[in-house]
Amino acid sequence: MPLTMAPRGKEVTLIGINGGRGVRMRLHSLGLIPGVKLRVLNNNGAGPLMVAVMNSRVALGWGMAYKIMVEE
Amino acid sequence: MSKKITIALAGNPNSGKTTIFNNLTGARQHVGNWPGVTVEKKGGNLKHDDYEIKVVDLPGTYSLTAYSLDEVIARNFVVEEKPDVVVNIVDASNLERNLYLTTQFMELGVKLVIALNMSDLAEARGQKIEIKHLSEFLSAPVVPTVGHKNKGTDELIRAIVDMAEGNFNLDRVTIGYGEEVEEEIKKIEGLIQRDAGLMQGYSSRWLALKLLEGDEEVIKKVASEKEV
Repeated sequence: MPLTMAPRGKEVTLIGINGGRGVRMRLHSLGLIPGVKLRVLNNNGAGPLMVAVMNSRVALGWGMAYKIMVEE
Repeated sequence: MSKKITIALAGNPNSGKTTIFNNLTGARQHVGNWPGVTVEKKGGNLKHDDYEIKVVDLPGTYSLTAYSLDEVIARNFVVEEKPDVVVNIVDASNLERNLYLTTQFMELGVKLVIALNMSDLAEARGQKIEIKHLSEFLSAPVVPTVGHKNKGTDELIRAIVDMAEGNFNLDRVTIGYGEEVEEEIKKIEGLIQRDAGLMQGYSSRWLALKLLEGDEEVIKKVASEKEV
């Protein structure tokens, strides 16, 4: 499912990014790589959402978050 | 006659570059505990024995593939202006993500010194970092620092000077990409090496990798060189 569907507090694993080279490389450099564990810190159903990844917090726009595929 | 060295402080946003900058130069640049405080490069000077060291504080960047304007500033300084030593400030409590940028510096082939900053925080979290091993893996000296307590600053300066003078005999580590990609890298490297003008002080492997990656800046550079 896309990250946008994960509710606040949920722990998920990143399984892939549906996007071109640009967005993939950007997200990789932020630590959003396949296999990494994410915790959703905030998801209001619209607007930016925040995740905890590798000991830091990353805010993602809705569009970018929609491209991130995760599983429970 | 004093020797002049230019060094750049580079690293992820909010890893403590400006705090280290202030420690090194005695400046009082604005620091904050959030990412994105430094958005332009700032210079300062430091005298150490016979050395006059120009320290350049760069905006934080997650990778050398520039994304935003402040990242472009950081990347261009390291890639184009080629400082004598790059001091990579690494947040010890978030090594995994921080070391991604480090591997990119290794690939670029710059003279690298790692400042393992916030090493007290990592310790408080129960992480014990094996400095010697890390230094071998990264083929660069690793100096633990605690920026806000000004710890490790003297050791860092010594490592920088030693690195600038070439007093470190570290084997260059090459990051492998598997057989298929390596084959393509070799092919492209061969093409690059035939054209001396393309190199401009960069390693052919790095150029080949960036071309494969589709890095816009490097593609532009190579294309413009071709026209001449």
